[in-house]
Amino acid sequence: MEATTMLIGRSIPRMDSPQKVRGQTRYTDDLHVPGMLHARLVTAPYAHARILGVETSQAVSLPGVVAVITGRDLFPEGPEPAERARHMLARDKVIYYGQPVAVVVAETAEAAADAVEAVRIDYEPLPAVVDPVAAMRPDAPVIRPKELEGEWAEAGMHATVAGGEELDVARLPANITNAARFRRGDVERGFAEADVVIERTYRTPFVHQSYLEPHAALAVPDPTGGLTIYTCTQGQFYARNVTASTLGLHPEQVTLVPMEVGGGFGGKTVLLEPLAGALALRTGRPVKLALTRMEEFLLATPAPGAVIELKTGARKDGTITAIKARVIFDSGAYPGAPVNIALLLLGGYYRCENLDLEGYEVLTNKPGVGAYRAPGAPQATFAIEQQVDEMARALGWDPLEFRLRNASETGDPQPNGVPWPQIGLRTVLERMREHPIWRNRSSDPNEGYGVAIGGWPGGVEPCAANVRLNIDGTLSVTLGSVDITGTNTVMAMIAAEVLSQPVERIRVVTAPSNLAPYAGMSGGSKVTYTMGLAVQAAAEDARRQLLEIASAELEAAPEDLELVDGAVRVRGVPDRSITLERIAGISMTFGGKYAPVYGSGRAVITQQSPGFNGQIAHVRVDPDTGEVELLELVAIQDVGRALNPALVTGQVQGGAAQGVGWALHEGMIYDDNGQPLNPTLMDYDLPKATHLPPIQVELVELLSEVGPFGAKGVGEPPVIPTAAAIANAIADAAGVRLTELPMTPARVLEALRQRT
Amino acid sequence: MIPGPFSYRRAASIEEAIALLQQYGGEAKVLSGGQSLIPMMKFRLAEPAVIVDINRVPGLDAIEERNGILAIGGLVREVALERSPLIRQRYPIIADTAEVIADPLVRNLATIGGNLAHGDPANDHPATMLALRAEVVARGPGGERTIPIDDFFVDTFTTALGPDEILTEIRVPAPPPRSGGAYVKFERKVGDYAVAAAAVFLVLDEAGKIAGAGIGLTNVYYKPLRAAEAENALLGQVPSGELFRAAAELAAKAADPTTDLRGPAEYKRAVARTMTFRALEAALSRAQAAS
Ligand SMILES: Cc1cc2nc3c(=O)[nH]c(=O)nc-3n(C[C@H](O)[C@H](O)[C@H](O)COP(=O)(O)OP(=O)(O)OC[C@H]3O[C@@H](n4cnc5c(N)ncnc54)[C@H](O)[C@@H]3O)c2cc1C
Repeated sequence: MEATTMLIGRSIPRMDSPQKVRGQTRYTDDLHVPGMLHARLVTAPYAHARILGVETSQAVSLPGVVAVITGRDLFPEGPEPAERARHMLARDKVIYYGQPVAVVVAETAEAAADAVEAVRIDYEPLPAVVDPVAAMRPDAPVIRPKELEGEWAEAGMHATVAGGEELDVARLPANITNAARFRRGDVERGFAEADVVIERTYRTPFVHQSYLEPHAALAVPDPTGGLTIYTCTQGQFYARNVTASTLGLHPEQVTLVPMEVGGGFGGKTVLLEPLAGALALRTGRPVKLALTRMEEFLLATPAPGAVIELKTGARKDGTITAIKARVIFDSGAYPGAPVNIALLLLGGYYRCENLDLEGYEVLTNKPGVGAYRAPGAPQATFAIEQQVDEMARALGWDPLEFRLRNASETGDPQPNGVPWPQIGLRTVLERMREHPIWRNRSSDPNEGYGVAIGGWPGGVEPCAANVRLNIDGTLSVTLGSVDITGTNTVMAMIAAEVLSQPVERIRVVTAPSNLAPYAGMSGGSKVTYTMGLAVQAAAEDARRQLLEIASAELEAAPEDLELVDGAVRVRGVPDRSITLERIAGISMTFGGKYAPVYGSGRAVITQQSPGFNGQIAHVRVDPDTGEVELLELVAIQDVGRALNPALVTGQVQGGAAQGVGWALHEGMIYDDNGQPLNPTLMDYDLPKATHLPPIQVELVELLSEVGPFGAKGVGEPPVIPTAAAIANAIADAAGVRLTELPMTPARVLEALRQRT
Repeated sequence: MIPGPFSYRRAASIEEAIALLQQYGGEAKVLSGGQSLIPMMKFRLAEPAVIVDINRVPGLDAIEERNGILAIGGLVREVALERSPLIRQRYPIIADTAEVIADPLVRNLATIGGNLAHGDPANDHPATMLALRAEVVARGPGGERTIPIDDFFVDTFTTALGPDEILTEIRVPAPPPRSGGAYVKFERKVGDYAVAAAAVFLVLDEAGKIAGAGIGLTNVYYKPLRAAEAENALLGQVPSGELFRAAAELAAKAADPTTDLRGPAEYKRAVARTMTFRALEAALSRAQAAS
């Protein structure tokens, strides 16, 4: 690892910004190919109902309509798939409001929209189960018989989790699809030893990732029976594999072209690709399917809701003596909520000898959930970080000192017994304690300060990249990871650093699935952490090849050569040099005597480098309206090495801004029949610029032993602690504990009313 | 979001617009700013067969004082109200109102005529016009008529306008000496409709007692609500915090909000009380500054 770097650690602008700012970036929905058809979904007006019949003849006869496809067309027999993306259309029954039941394919989007209204579907409504706790009862309406339950792996792509006791799910009521338990010591003894015991139930709603760009996919059939699919996925190989296997194709028959992702936050994995592919295969023509904003809310994959029953105890000396939790994740109509990771964090931030953590993943008649930035962590942290705060206050401890007293350190066991790898939690807490906003906190009436921390284990996945010299002396990095956060800019910086070139000489190309070296999903805060190493290795390989050719041409030993802007030269002899353009020319020509420069790099890391983020919130609570005004927000994060501090800071600010959404604004609301009540951006309240104070970011750099140049993953941690920090600030300001998200004015006012 | 099929007619004059409305009967809808109508069409909640666009009709976009009234043309956009020096100086309550409607993109198009004609109790201008005792001018096949604002709002999304009538002007009495008004709104987020909002217009006598009071409430009743009891409780009184609290309480009592996404009914009532109190204070300080 270099001690001094030329580019690494410098804030350079994202290479894709100019095109985006000018509106030139092309997204999937901007694509039009000759002969393209438009698809429009017919969605269910019930959350749970049997489908008695689908009448499509009138719709098919409308002008411009090419086909109307139903669930029966796609799955003539056998059980309906139990995974969201594979379950392209419902056949026998619908299991959430807004579920696609049929799809119209037409020559224009308008014709498709009109024909949707002409599709007649007969339903027999069934009792719906909306509340996850009710769904756990043995007599609750059953979403799907247990033996037909599928598996879903996406949460696992964000963090690698091991251990725990397997609970026998088969013996639990039908809607419970996963159960886990982590135990240590004896919680009852822990509570007996405690001077304060606090017990509360916390609730968090479904939260939508609310990326600007709704899902879109364009599938183009090819003459050999395969498909090319243009789509805004975060993980092209995963999306390709799921699409191919759903359609009964070999993976290499599907070429997936990853388009620009207009925001994903975990929510863009695979959704429309299989259906668009099926429609293209059936019609023999290119088919585009793009969701409306309302469909995003109805049928995409938001973050799961949670009910967390938490009981904790601590002694006067500040020791946390016991943590007992029952965590219920509402997974919607398909399994896949990240309950294990939630348990690990809930019981892992602090040292505690006695743990009993139990978690359930439960199905309800709501859309199937997906990953959302640090899946499971904001929910768990909202609970544990409020309760730790409350215990500290009850015992007369300063909330930061209490956390420092108990904070887990490198090597301490997580609830699954696996020791924490190197973590910077303590350093983050110390930096929070020193922050001027915390040190100079005032005691104005109705104002308060709160702190909270959040950590994310991070993901790992093997990957590869290559670096080639182009004919003009520039270099191209080719990889398969999708850039959702500016990673391609960082990859260019890494290659430029290794090759001692200005970053302008490096291009980064995200290649489609038939060409790109393997990469995992852009999730789990792992692209820079893992792909950075592959690019570094590929650049080193290319560097070696460049020096080899230069050495022969300049008749100097490779050790005596150095790379400079656009050239290789003999150290100390500036006029003995050869340009990269010349090296390209002589290695890529008829009869040339050197092999072209083509470096390749592969990386596999198995060790995680968790990231911790601590936040300080300063709020004012309006006692007459219950409105919470966020006055200041500080976010301090251990990022390993900030390869590009501006990008890292942007990630932290963006994550914290989303955290403010979780805290004060966002939540999907369903009525007792499972009908969503706020499936528009008019009623689903995203935070706006006016709701956000400048977010003050401090980066702590405790270098990772494995990540490129010491980097750790940074994307996920900043969303985690915000809601708890704001809740703690509200408690400080007004003496009330808000246990349900979002903490709307109506809820705050109600809490204030109950206090007096 | 694609609306159902419809045909589009652009009227060049008020007479032509009225004739078109007559021709198509109940099938036609006037299009002014389109900021309520077009979203409803895109969601296919409204599927009018014909749209009669009045945006090119001349003479409906003036803001002027004449003969002791302020006349605002039906096509005056929110952005014009917000920026008009006349409105800002002489009728700050109207500027308060325009400023908190939606967002700048909507305000560039949305019109005050559409805002009133839509009959939506969630819209902001109705409460202000109730507090100001405005009059609405309507033109139809039979000519022009003037409708006192108290008679204008009939039901949710229903006004006194006939299907072939066009709202051409809003008339507001010019402010007497020692008067002032304010509009205070509580919203879930910037650009949203009110959880509850209050418009208050106060006139003081020479002794500083309240000689005239108008209070309108937004989004807490099936239609825009004038809080008459609260107004009466203020008359002849010396302004005080206690008086205002009592009046705000009466206004909140008159409200009959429904529980919905903006909160439980009781919560909205509490917000209506707080908004009324704050609007009373703001109106008073403007009235006092005007003396
Ligand atoms: C995102 C968003 C947020 C909004 N937030 C608010 C808010 O906070 N507060 C608020 O008050 N409003 C809000 N609005 C509504 C906005 O102010 C509308 O523009 C207004 O209600 C209608 O005015 P318009 O000119 O757009 O009317 P249009 O949409 O063109 O018409 C509305 C209705 O009135 C009829 N109509 C229009 N003009 C006339 C006329 N001159 N004579 C007879 N009938 C007529 C139309 O036929 C139609 O039925 C919001 C709108 C949007 C899109």
